[in-house]
Amino acid sequence: MSLESFFQWCYQSPALGVIRDSTYAIPIIQSFHLVGLTILLGTTVMLNLRLLGIGMRQLPLSEVARQVWPWTFGALLLNILSGVLVFLPDPTRYANSGPFQLKMALLLMAILYHFTIFRKVTRAEPPTVGPLRNAVVAFFSLTLWFSVGWAGRAIAFFK
Amino acid sequence: MPFLTWCQWLQNTPLSTGIRQSDLLFPLIEGSHILALSLSVGLIMILDLRFLGIAFANEPVSKIMKQIMPWSLVGFTLMFGTGILLFMSQAEKAFGNTFFRIKFLLLLLAGLNALYYQMRFYPKMREWDVAVKSPAGVRICAVLSLVFWIGVIACGRTMAYEI
Repeated sequence: MSLESFFQWCYQSPALGVIRDSTYAIPIIQSFHLVGLTILLGTTVMLNLRLLGIGMRQLPLSEVARQVWPWTFGALLLNILSGVLVFLPDPTRYANSGPFQLKMALLLMAILYHFTIFRKVTRAEPPTVGPLRNAVVAFFSLTLWFSVGWAGRAIAFFK
Repeated sequence: MPFLTWCQWLQNTPLSTGIRQSDLLFPLIEGSHILALSLSVGLIMILDLRFLGIAFANEPVSKIMKQIMPWSLVGFTLMFGTGILLFMSQAEKAFGNTFFRIKFLLLLLAGLNALYYQMRFYPKMREWDVAVKSPAGVRICAVLSLVFWIGVIACGRTMAYEI
């Protein structure tokens, strides 16, 4: 099945039509997406504050990393699910959106980074890198995730 | 001066008009408002999860609270600042919007809930500080906090549909 015929199927699907035509379905789904974003970014900010050494300093870095991990992961799953539910009822609108394409590219990079370098550096016990490299690691984490957020906001404002 | 009239005056000030008419300014302020949720509500939610014993349960509540609160206050300052600018730029519409009114009510309730916790449970915190699950009353406050903040977020999103 080609992408085009899949999109066509989406517009014809009765189930997706219910979501698309309902007044409150999309804002409710997007509210889940925002709550997920709050927890995903909130836990990531908390961990990065510790990584930078400017917050949560009474807790070991690896402990903060371990404790927030299930919540970061759960929130990411929630956002992927809610994101799919926003996408599917109107796929060409998003597929053709520049900001959306950028958001997906950034999201992929953010996830890859978070599961590899970031995870390794924040879980290491004792910490294996010094403050300068910690700052670089934190910079990329925050930049990637918040760029995903900004790209998401841009979808409604730009083509 | 009736509040509505004041809203109309407010949204016609140069600053409000500038924000409303700018292609970039409104999205920047609104985007900041949404993303600062992480630093404000996000951190408070982590604290609520601690009260419920499902995050950082091996650490005393006071230790978590002491480290979260300063940063959360920075976050709420950002929320307040961007929120005021957003309200100013569309004061009349926001004031008349049902979901905005509910959002404000929920904000008040969240604040009262926090105040209640502060006055009723915080003084005796030492007694239950290290317990994995905080006392039932504290946990109720934590659940209410989560419910109210989720409500605020949902109303904030739904506001745009009436506006």
